[in-house]
Amino acid sequence: MDSYCRAEGEGIFFRDVTVCPTRGGLRGLAADSGHFRILERILLKRERTLSLGVLWLLLPLLQTGCAGALRSYDAELRATTSLVRVNRPDLALQTLEKNNADPEKDLLYYMEKGELLRLQGAFADSRSSWMAADQKVQQWEEQARTDPGKLLGAIGSVVVNDKVRTYEGYDYEKVLLTAQIALDHIALGDWEAARTEIKKTHEREAIIADLHAKKVMQEEAESGNRHVRRSVKELQGYPVDTLNDPQVIALKNSYQNAFSHYLAGFVYEALGEPGLAAPGYRQAIELRPDIPLLEEGLKQLDRRRERLAAGKTDLLFVLEGGLAPARSSVMIPLPIPSAGLVTLSFPVVPDNPSASYHPGPLQIDGNKWVEMAAVTSVDAMARRTLRDDLPGIVLRSTLRAASRGIAQGQANRKGNELVGLAVMLTGLVLESADERSWRTLPATIFLGRTALKPGRYTLSFDTAYGNRASMALDVGGRYQLVPIRVVGDTLYLANTPGSSYGSLPVVGGRALTK
Amino acid sequence: MYGMSVGIRRLGWRLGLLLAMGVWAGCVTASGPASGPGVVGSGRVQYGDPKAVESVSNSFGSTDLQMIAESMTRSLLQSPAITGRHRPLITVDHVKNKSSEYIDTRAITDTILTQLTKSGLVRFVVDMAEMDDQVDELGRQNESGLYKKSSAKKMGRMEGADFRLVGSISSIVKRTPDFHDVYYKFSLRLTDIESGVVEWADEKEIRKTTTR
Repeated sequence: MDSYCRAEGEGIFFRDVTVCPTRGGLRGLAADSGHFRILERILLKRERTLSLGVLWLLLPLLQTGCAGALRSYDAELRATTSLVRVNRPDLALQTLEKNNADPEKDLLYYMEKGELLRLQGAFADSRSSWMAADQKVQQWEEQARTDPGKLLGAIGSVVVNDKVRTYEGYDYEKVLLTAQIALDHIALGDWEAARTEIKKTHEREAIIADLHAKKVMQEEAESGNRHVRRSVKELQGYPVDTLNDPQVIALKNSYQNAFSHYLAGFVYEALGEPGLAAPGYRQAIELRPDIPLLEEGLKQLDRRRERLAAGKTDLLFVLEGGLAPARSSVMIPLPIPSAGLVTLSFPVVPDNPSASYHPGPLQIDGNKWVEMAAVTSVDAMARRTLRDDLPGIVLRSTLRAASRGIAQGQANRKGNELVGLAVMLTGLVLESADERSWRTLPATIFLGRTALKPGRYTLSFDTAYGNRASMALDVGGRYQLVPIRVVGDTLYLANTPGSSYGSLPVVGGRALTK
Repeated sequence: MYGMSVGIRRLGWRLGLLLAMGVWAGCVTASGPASGPGVVGSGRVQYGDPKAVESVSNSFGSTDLQMIAESMTRSLLQSPAITGRHRPLITVDHVKNKSSEYIDTRAITDTILTQLTKSGLVRFVVDMAEMDDQVDELGRQNESGLYKKSSAKKMGRMEGADFRLVGSISSIVKRTPDFHDVYYKFSLRLTDIESGVVEWADEKEIRKTTTR
């Protein structure tokens, strides 16, 4: 063991190898700083190191009980989401529970569970599940604030495969999580708590922005030291078009979304805080400058008081359409130093037909139309995230494959084919792409806004399969938020008493509300 | 010899006991609270001076809020509109946030209102944001049947304000990979409600720069 340093605590052996103290001349196995030289020194100099090298490669499997390495999240969630499409979120939840039998639940479990409970109308339970997810994100935030170097080191580590690493959530998921919790609070009538979640969103975005800046700085600093460079262009056969969509490129970044900011504007406005509502609408416009609805949000901020005076409810329709895209694997052969041509697995965001759904205008009582604007594409954000991460993924996969190639080659030269085979098999199991992502999120978020007198209305619009759907809508209070979810032909509407806020002005000693 | 060695042994035993007690005491001290009696927790959380200059980031912070409030209060209290009347009544309209930053402008006007009220030179009447609660309370006292008629506050006796305080905050942000500059401008105006004359106006500018 003298060539290896052993990390202490919490079973994060590989992650800590990159920072553990020197013993036997080894300092770190990071992607940079002569990674190959160090590996060759370890694996070629000493015979006994060979067996340790194999152990080193096998350990992630042992550590995770094979669960993380062997798990196909895409396959798991395909079954779950198909049940959501046919209006069986209850069975979808059972499937999710079955796939997450381990008592130690991860962030992704709580994220998916929160959505499946919400679709069943269990808003309090959904909120609890998302709060549990948020606790985990808050731990990540704490580390981002206090020890960003360690966080960035873990992201950039080549030793451990992405899919066996603890799921920390993509940045756009972290931002959308607080918006989703806010929607639950509103459905339950707690608008002040929704405000807290919205404020948390701003703070979270600031932390993510800061971490992104640090990551860029770190990459700039390390680029000079790297012995291996890899470009996405080298991935012959990779469906690059899926990441180069104009909608993906047009995004300001991978984590900010116009919906969260417009929602912030609406909640602050409802709570009588126009000073905070204005930047919410303004930031939404900055993120999507091409949408008239967002511009009207800011322009009409002062004039909307007149609506209240006329005894009308300010209604915001939030229509979540489709499902977030999957992440699957694609096998690409790459020339690897010390190993020759090796077929490696890379993540890919396949086509997502549910992202093309557009409901058209909502019809109210057959005589009023509300235009719905697609303000946030989760589909595009997921693609942008992969687009930004892919160069790093390619580099890390190359380095891992190279280290395996050295180990396997050495084993074969020593006539120990069995060890060589073990190295190869371990690599095959470990080197499949990380398919995890929050899949029950919508593909697209649409917004529509109008003013209506309190009362009961019939709301109708097109489903994803072109069928016409109708449902009753109760309108009341000064402000009301109406969340609608459309997945395939299935509709979910959260028209709870709590979703309306405040009472309309008193005129002639009588309230205008029912 | 024996007696001496016994004595030495006893001395050694006592020294050992003392040492052990010292170590134990040291351990207790080391593992105890970080500072002073009555402190619970790890001691890693510290209270600081709320007036201390905060320069954590370029975004709007506590020091900016305090600087604006102090500057505006000082200026307003010296204006003839205030000094020329006996405790005039003011209502606070909202301060428009023209920036893209989530700045709680209500927190700024609340601080200004508190400082002005403490001076004793002005009085404030319920503003637009609080009017609903005020009307609800009056309605409850007069219409719910729960209150004695003699103590219920009468409808139609609210005081109208002499002045309206309105303002805005705007910002200009410039950013390069190595440089981040934010300029804030806070403007406040006091308008005579009857005549519509702007009796007082002032501005406070703040510039914050960060270099990478």
